[in-house]
Amino acid sequence: MDSNKKYWKGLEELNKTPEFVEKNKHEFAEPIPIEDVLSGDGLLGKTPRRDFLKAVGFGVGAVTLAACQKVPVHKSIPYLIKPEEVTPGVANYYSSTYEGHAILVKTREGRPIKVEGNPNDLLAKGGLSAQAQSSVLDLYDVSRVQAPLVNGEGKAWNEVDDYVKLELAKIQDSGKKIAIISSSISSPSTLAVIADFITAHPTAKHIMYDAVSYTGIIQANQNSFGKAVLPHYNFDKADVIVSFGADFLSTWISGEEFTRQYVSNRNNKSLQSKKMSRHIQFETGMSLTGTNADVRIPLKPSEEGVALINLYNAITGTTLPGTKKLADNAANNAITIAAKELAAAKGKALVVAGSNDVATQTLVNAINAALGSYGTTIDLDNNSNQYKGNDADLAAFIGDAKKGDIAAVLFLDANPVYDYYNTKEITEALAKVPLKISFNTSLDETAALATVVAPNHHYLESWGDDSAIAGYYTVMQPTINPVYNTRQAEESLLIWSSSATKTYYDYVRNNWDKNILAMGGLSGQKGWETLLQTGFVHVAAKTAGAYSFSKDLNAVAQTILTQSTSLVAGDKAYELHLYQSSAIRDGKHANNPWLQELPDPVSKVTWDNFAAMSLTDLKALNLQEGDVITIDANGTSIALPVLLQPGQAEGTISVAVGYGRAKGGAVIESGIGKNAYPLYSFRNGTVQGSAVAKISATGDQIILAQTQTHHSYEGRNVIRDASFTEYKKNPYVNSGKDGEHKDYKSLWENYDRPTYNWVMAIDLNACTGCGACVVACNAENNVPVVGRDEVRRRREMHWIRIDRYYTFNDEQGKGVTEEHEIDKLKNINNVSVVHQPMLCQHCDHAPCETVCPVLATVHSSEGLNHMAYNRCVGTRYCANNCPFKVRRFNWFNYWNDSRFENYLAEQHTQLVLNPDVVTRFRGVMEKCSMCIQRIQAGKLQAKMEKRPVKDGDIKVACQQTCSANAIVFGNGNDPESEVSKALRSERTYYVLEELNVQPGIGYQVKVRNTNELEA
Amino acid sequence: MRSISLIFKQFSKTVLLLACFTVWGISAKAQGDPAKGEAIFKANCTSCHKIDSRMTGPALGPVISSETDDKWLASWIRNNQALIAAKDPKALKIWNEYSQASMSVFTQLSDDDIANVIAYVRADWKKIQDDQKKAAPAAGAVAEDKGPSDLAVYALIGVIVVALIIILVLNNIIATLERLIGGQRLLPVEAEITESEVAADKYALLKRILKNKKLVFFIIFAGTIAMCSWGWVALWNTNVHQGYQPVQPIKFPHDLHAGVMQIQCQYCHSGAYKSKNASIPSLNVCMNCHKTVKTESLEIHKIYDALGYDPQTQKYDSLKARPIQWIRIHNLPDFAYFNHSQHVKVGGIKCQQCHGPVETMKEVYQYSPLTMKWCIQCHKRTDINMKGNAYYENMIAVHDLIKKGVKVTPAQLGGIECGKCHY
Repeated sequence: MDSNKKYWKGLEELNKTPEFVEKNKHEFAEPIPIEDVLSGDGLLGKTPRRDFLKAVGFGVGAVTLAACQKVPVHKSIPYLIKPEEVTPGVANYYSSTYEGHAILVKTREGRPIKVEGNPNDLLAKGGLSAQAQSSVLDLYDVSRVQAPLVNGEGKAWNEVDDYVKLELAKIQDSGKKIAIISSSISSPSTLAVIADFITAHPTAKHIMYDAVSYTGIIQANQNSFGKAVLPHYNFDKADVIVSFGADFLSTWISGEEFTRQYVSNRNNKSLQSKKMSRHIQFETGMSLTGTNADVRIPLKPSEEGVALINLYNAITGTTLPGTKKLADNAANNAITIAAKELAAAKGKALVVAGSNDVATQTLVNAINAALGSYGTTIDLDNNSNQYKGNDADLAAFIGDAKKGDIAAVLFLDANPVYDYYNTKEITEALAKVPLKISFNTSLDETAALATVVAPNHHYLESWGDDSAIAGYYTVMQPTINPVYNTRQAEESLLIWSSSATKTYYDYVRNNWDKNILAMGGLSGQKGWETLLQTGFVHVAAKTAGAYSFSKDLNAVAQTILTQSTSLVAGDKAYELHLYQSSAIRDGKHANNPWLQELPDPVSKVTWDNFAAMSLTDLKALNLQEGDVITIDANGTSIALPVLLQPGQAEGTISVAVGYGRAKGGAVIESGIGKNAYPLYSFRNGTVQGSAVAKISATGDQIILAQTQTHHSYEGRNVIRDASFTEYKKNPYVNSGKDGEHKDYKSLWENYDRPTYNWVMAIDLNACTGCGACVVACNAENNVPVVGRDEVRRRREMHWIRIDRYYTFNDEQGKGVTEEHEIDKLKNINNVSVVHQPMLCQHCDHAPCETVCPVLATVHSSEGLNHMAYNRCVGTRYCANNCPFKVRRFNWFNYWNDSRFENYLAEQHTQLVLNPDVVTRFRGVMEKCSMCIQRIQAGKLQAKMEKRPVKDGDIKVACQQTCSANAIVFGNGNDPESEVSKALRSERTYYVLEELNVQPGIGYQVKVRNTNELEA
Repeated sequence: MRSISLIFKQFSKTVLLLACFTVWGISAKAQGDPAKGEAIFKANCTSCHKIDSRMTGPALGPVISSETDDKWLASWIRNNQALIAAKDPKALKIWNEYSQASMSVFTQLSDDDIANVIAYVRADWKKIQDDQKKAAPAAGAVAEDKGPSDLAVYALIGVIVVALIIILVLNNIIATLERLIGGQRLLPVEAEITESEVAADKYALLKRILKNKKLVFFIIFAGTIAMCSWGWVALWNTNVHQGYQPVQPIKFPHDLHAGVMQIQCQYCHSGAYKSKNASIPSLNVCMNCHKTVKTESLEIHKIYDALGYDPQTQKYDSLKARPIQWIRIHNLPDFAYFNHSQHVKVGGIKCQQCHGPVETMKEVYQYSPLTMKWCIQCHKRTDINMKGNAYYENMIAVHDLIKKGVKVTPAQLGGIECGKCHY
């Protein structure tokens, strides 16, 4: 039976607001003024014969003149001396590392154009985040610092060295302190270089801090088990996962790795063996992880600690002093159920919390210890190196600097002037430091204050290494000569510490030869070369120890409760919750237009941050979406537009950090969002992202560039989901296949697909909605960036989008099926979410093909819907007739138009383009081609090697980057291919099957592990 | 007595002559025979030496001509290693100068052989120097013969313009004079004929023709057809550059390299077999041969200049290097994807099929129209080269076609679909 559950993209769709209905009447935001032409003078008006002849004459003349242009002479400039490994037209891949992931960098004619995960990467097995995918664009960023600066003046490197060495020598004599401030560094060689620098300058100290800190966990582990580390979590070993505000599928510690682990217990393979993990999420704002949870309970920041205490009590059967019930009954129920399920899954359970509070994390440790998680789902012995920052260290530095004890400070990949919670303090402190050296690649807020800017290489220009997890070492190698006159920070440090090793390459080599290569059974030049090919060394993991918790929890509980009380908002106040957005994260990549235009997975907002609030609160305040409010907390205030966020805990506001950068690039300086870091506060020794905030409306209004309702199905049902219980009873549930599958008569002849039938399967249960595929597609297919204004006009160009749908759950946790029931719901914030990647479906009976007057879009014998851009005349009939709304029109020549010069119209930035894919001109349609360039290349490779195409040879860009393996692509004619197997799954359904357009992409029903115990 | 003295004179002359010839002959023998020397030189020395310029070893002409100690030369040529081992100062100097690269040992050569070689080298070097001297004054004349200078062209244009003006002026004068003369003599005659009669006579033929409607129709019809077909052809050939033959910065003769010398295309265009680009060879490929072949050519020196290479010292100076800007002849638009390896390696198509008889072209021109029609035609007509290629073996579609007895062309396997080339 087809599900008739009600899904909606936003409340405007649900409530059918007049604007929404009006907008959705048209395919494009601004209708073509046909009516005006017809009703005005238009066709009724008489055109005098002379005017007509004039126009014809002018037209012919103009065309003739334009055609008289001489054919330009094209030059062809070959290499003078061609490097042996380069063949023009053939891509080379180099292994390297990005944030600890082993990656492969695709280069063409010596320039990197795409980053892909190394399939053997321990963390994500070939998957990569949107940030990693977009990192290649930063290489060609024209706003990077292009040469070293001393006091704002361009200098040669030797002048910089002389200056710095002299100053450092003076400081050494005076005995004053030097501070090296960096974000967390997990590279063994970089750490060794810094250690060497400290040996040469004994007064120096290395301070690591993170914009979004994990000090709470590290400190708690120190207190609980004597190990000041971030543990390595194994979500794949957990049957029951309970998360308190930890967005572990996206921004929390190691999103891509956790996604891979998490999905392995929820994907098709796992479901086939009737196994599915259970995930309960308690959180304030709707996070990406929250949207994927089986049960999601909105919880105020002030209640988080209380909820954890209750959970601890329920699991261990004790009662900590000061225990009180939660105000919300549903939440209380959920805690009881979670405790029961966790206890039942002892040894296979995991509780995580996103809080940076030491006490809260200590309590989480106690819960995990009681559940026997240590040694199974939590590994303290093969710890993570990804975050090491200590908030107290930076605070101490500021104290020292204010006293005037610090004579020099070096910033390595750190921008505290922007991301430290107390901007005033850090600016004052830095004013008292005479020598400030920044290695940052752009002239950001901190570098702007620096005396010396010694710009670092981009990581694609650098040698180096990394170690995200203890025992896993990845190597970084340059894939291009430095684009600008930059120098690797490590090399600068070597020179300034008068090291015997002059180049950082030699340093890395020595370090690996001495310490790391042998661990992987490699040695010497040959070993090094092998390493550069494989990309990493993985030492067999140590046995993870089982740790028991034996500390007194009374004081911990007391701290938590005091803090909770302090967070309870009074009258007319709200509890503020700060988070990292999935795309922009901590703001380091804010100058990347690909990331700025990637819609937030939950809110679907691009190019801005906002204040997310619940419907109830908005109604109470009489605010509309887009109204600008001032948020007043911790002595500072920022003004942000309001966004209506279903699922937001009532009485709370969520604001993303990472926006509102002031300096560091043209995109940043165009003004994107507001900086929320000053709203952080320093409590109990750590920086924490919750506070009590007062709000007031300013009366202004901003239209957010939100894509959620841009592509409407007019209420047609495209999503199907089922509960795990239902699925176990009947695997065909809701897929429309269980005996009632309709056989539609076809109006068209079927196409022959004699050789291949390229099809795709997308598992809605595996897709977390993160959006990495969108950026991967941008990079692979030269998809233009259009900017905020154009997104507001519904003109974003993404070939693949991720539609996010909400459904309501009633008191019994059942989906609400009828519209009229929605009004009766008491708790409108109890929503479930489904993410659906939507791209060209390559229909066998494609509606777009039949309406194209010039045959620019036609069907291929391989099951693809081809789009010939050079034949398209831009009637846009195809987009009108596409039921999936996946066709994109080029309203401008985005590649050569000054309006878009901040994005990709810059000539230098265009070096990132994929030369195998053409850029589209103004006035033509474009859409997903199923990476036809990769299909053709894969077939050619097979032909050259005189073998058939193997399954898995050809991977499309979105599939390649997906850590969750939600997308499977292949030849549907081969019954043994992965995609054929996936499409044979009982859960497979086709979107808008009833139209009988016969899409080439099959989706698999979303399954939620909601069972009878449901809250 | 006179006769005796004459006889004596005659005799002494003969003796002297004989003596001279003997001495000449002996000395000639001692100096060696250049003809024999040439054969030995070509067999043993040319792989490393040239007479007039430096190769792997020094330029032998100046070196051997300036060295007077033939004995030392002989011992060096026979066994330079022994001399070096014996720490002979001269030998050591040369050895060090050529970065201690050892010369082959020629113990099999006799004294005579070596003398012959030395003689050949000296004679040849002398000849080269003489040629150069002769050539030096002629060089100026050659330089001027580069073609008409700008001045000459302007002068010619000037002369033509002046001539035209003179013709016009003269014409005018003649006309004026004629009018004057005519005015005196013809006026009375003209007065006798009425103007209308003159006009009637003038247009009579035209009028007759215009009255012939069939003829008028035919002319208009033919004109329209001609214009249309001309327009049709012109439009179809817009942006088709078949026959395009620009002048390249280096006069690279394909007819010599690919034709006479029979060098395989892929020796230089190595990308054709593995990449979408056939690729213009980088200059290091040229240098594989032209480090030693035709080093005196001005065109080859353009390669040296581009590389910053000094043929005398055989050193490269990357600071002087600048790329050669070839003019692109075959220029597919960006929206058409073409892959050489697909056609050359997989399809087994000869380069000449699209590029024409390159081996006879002094300067390359675009042989094929490179239009889509041209692509499609070939995709429809050509058999797929599937012999021994397992890629096609298990392809059901191919089997079906063969069973039906249909020719298997790229078009049959979707090779003329838009997306195969346009993406």
